[in-house]
Amino acid sequence: MNDSQVIVQADKTVIKIHNVRVKGLNTQSLENILIEKLESMVRVIGVTGSSIEMDVYGLDEEAILKDSEGFIKAVSLAEGITASEVTAIAYAKKICQVDFDHIPSKEGHACMKERWL
Amino acid sequence: MFDKAVIIPTGDEIKEGIVLDTDSPMIMQTLIRLNPLCQIARRMPINDLEAHIAEGVSQAAAEGADLVVIIGGSGGGHRYSATLGKDFTHSALEALLSPQFSGEIYGKNGHMWCKLLCGFVGDTLVINVPGPYREALAAMEAFADTYDKAPADLKEINRAMLEAVIKQYPVSALQ
Repeated sequence: MNDSQVIVQADKTVIKIHNVRVKGLNTQSLENILIEKLESMVRVIGVTGSSIEMDVYGLDEEAILKDSEGFIKAVSLAEGITASEVTAIAYAKKICQVDFDHIPSKEGHACMKERWL
Repeated sequence: MFDKAVIIPTGDEIKEGIVLDTDSPMIMQTLIRLNPLCQIARRMPINDLEAHIAEGVSQAAAEGADLVVIIGGSGGGHRYSATLGKDFTHSALEALLSPQFSGEIYGKNGHMWCKLLCGFVGDTLVINVPGPYREALAAMEAFADTYDKAPADLKEINRAMLEAVIKQYPVSALQ
């Protein structure tokens, strides 16, 4: 085995939208809509049938939350998303930098269940 | 050059049709560009479970695939964020591949954002790409360029794919 590890210095805000119906989502389409609206890079990182989690790079949570209605409206334009009056931003959190020593050097090798629970 | 390739998408959201699998057609196009004569099969999406991923890769290898591309499950997932899915592709491949080369990308928040592996199961070359389309595209283009020049250089293939993914973030990187 030969491992290399890289630490990237990027500021991002993690945003989760909930109470939304998702079926057949084209994530590229959603990312393109939000990139155009926010003028920042957006990456969809987690989707369920009722929520969407995404990373927005280079914007603080305040910038997102001050126009949360516009944000949700933009999201609802994407193919495969149906928003309703209860659709909302569940959270928007900017990531915090940790000390270099707190970045794990290697994943554990316990069984799948032990590693994740 | 590979003659038979297998693409295996992973993830419950892909399997259930919540998210469209736009990566597989892109990967197929990239592989056809690399070898217009190759046969490519896209397998049914599988759940994010180590045993399922290992079984899918082993089965493709046993059936004579020269190349297997696994999509998704490359991040830290639930281990770092309780709201994300459970990503197991890298841990499944880590247990399967020999020899293998891997590279990990961590964010400044200490979370693992991506792990890419490259190695063999028997005579079958296996690589993984991240699920997000832009990262998958960058990784596949880097794979194609590097594989075309030096198909046996696993370390270089893995390095090139990792660098291509890093370039998708608006960042500076510390090795």
